[in-house]
Amino acid sequence: MTLPDAIRTESLTKYYGPVVAVESLDLTVAPGEVYGFLGPNGAGKTTTIRILLDLVRATSGRARVDGLDCRAASVEVRRRIGYLPAEMPLYREMTGAAYLKFLSALQSRRVDESYRRKLFARFDVSDIDLRRRLDHLSHGMKRKFGIIQALMGRLPLLILDEPTSGLDPLMIEAFAETVHELKTAGGTTVFLSSHVLSEVERLCDRVGIIRRGRLVRQTSIADLRRDTPRRLRVFFDGAAPAPPSSLAVAVRRSDNRHWELEWPGPLGGVLDALQGLPVSDIEIEPFRLEDYVLRIYSDESRAAT
Amino acid sequence: MMFLALIGRSFARHRAFLVALAALLSAFQILDIVVAYNLQQNAIYSQFATMVPAFIQEAMGGALVGTFMGAVAVGFVHPLVMLSLSCAAIYLASEPAGEVEDGLVDLVVARPVRRYLIVTRSAFVCATSTLAVVTAMFVTSRVTVHWLTPDQANVVAASRLGWVALNLLAIVWSLGAGALLLASHARERARAAGTVALVAVFLYLLQFGAAAWAPLRPFARVSPFHYYEPMRTLMGTVTPIRHLLGLLTATVALMGGAYMLYERRDL
Repeated sequence: MTLPDAIRTESLTKYYGPVVAVESLDLTVAPGEVYGFLGPNGAGKTTTIRILLDLVRATSGRARVDGLDCRAASVEVRRRIGYLPAEMPLYREMTGAAYLKFLSALQSRRVDESYRRKLFARFDVSDIDLRRRLDHLSHGMKRKFGIIQALMGRLPLLILDEPTSGLDPLMIEAFAETVHELKTAGGTTVFLSSHVLSEVERLCDRVGIIRRGRLVRQTSIADLRRDTPRRLRVFFDGAAPAPPSSLAVAVRRSDNRHWELEWPGPLGGVLDALQGLPVSDIEIEPFRLEDYVLRIYSDESRAAT
Repeated sequence: MMFLALIGRSFARHRAFLVALAALLSAFQILDIVVAYNLQQNAIYSQFATMVPAFIQEAMGGALVGTFMGAVAVGFVHPLVMLSLSCAAIYLASEPAGEVEDGLVDLVVARPVRRYLIVTRSAFVCATSTLAVVTAMFVTSRVTVHWLTPDQANVVAASRLGWVALNLLAIVWSLGAGALLLASHARERARAAGTVALVAVFLYLLQFGAAAWAPLRPFARVSPFHYYEPMRTLMGTVTPIRHLLGLLTATVALMGGAYMLYERRDL
């Protein structure tokens, strides 16, 4: 028997009056996957997340979590989700410990104290921090409490909206380590919305890119690495020769010292074509999700205008 | 467990406000009875009927207001008391809108908390908090009367004052339910609470005006304050069971609307 998708939306649409927040969104997230949900500000990411949590109701279409309808089986769905909102709401007058205790009481599943202690240690939350009022904490420390409250229930689906916003590099590393652990252990799906594309590239198996409420791409990072043209600069001893016919279409710029190429697929073909030429150096730009996403954003902007 | 956590959190957030309100309104009872005691001792009540215009006496509950017994009830009739309690109930009941405004709803309702629990929580906190405040007023009044009743004065029976307090609570609850209804739809607490508070003041003035000006009387029926006859209740000529039933029915109807709106809304 195959497991249902951890998240599946079908023609999901949400209008706020005349404003389109999400339109005909079809996305799928497999169980155990780490999925990056990307898009510029106002693209519809948070609205999609809030529909999954039944905080807002779709105008049309369906959203499911583990095969359960997010509207009809709302409580069952939310029983499975650990959620970190982008804007971390806090009861300012509470201490960190009281805040986590209150939120634990709202979970249907008992929170494992040893796991919570482990999270405190990982995110460097001391007993003193736990006793301080939340409004006396720094932005980063508040964020840590946000991450801990989402993780502490050990729930099968984590929805994390901008999880590392405001965290220092050490804590970003601690977060990445936690996601890696969850991935390795299996059984947890992570749906992560972030503007930090290097983080998404590093952590996610697949990404979905949303713009103006529509899903414009959904693909795996591995496929992107394979399919995205690689940028190479080939330098020569002395004057650069004319490119051979097999490379001619890939050359984007050239001068008397070097060529700049964009080469799709494995690089063996380029290396073969360079055999026998007076090559002094080759620079290969690593794949960067950022470049890809920015290109998608600008392509879509051009298409829209 | 979940419900207890929600209630506990709400009480904790409003604790200081509730303690201050209970202290203030209880102090008002003491002050009121001390003044009544002095008026009685100085035989000023006999001049009261000539000093206060008839329509104001009527609005305040009739001729009994010019007696020690009536003056004791002023702690449950004075506009300041009635409107303070009403505004407290309105504020407490508007918590669902505040949670949407602050984004706290994202934290609470993203967990397996059923939406009706949020409305029930606010209704419960509003009802029990105002009950506690009115109980504190009642107990303070009884204790002060016990100490400061002049020999020749009639004392209000505890049961009669209890009916007055219950009637006042029913008014306050109906206004709280109105606030809950609006807060179940609104995104801003100040807007929901402010609107209902203004409506409450208007309805109070409507009832007050109707005592002085007959053409207003048919309209005064929409005011919950119309269903409050404290002086007649104290004298024992009215037992406000019908008023209570009417006000509680309105409260239940408004709460039903609140459940429906909150269940359907975008948070």
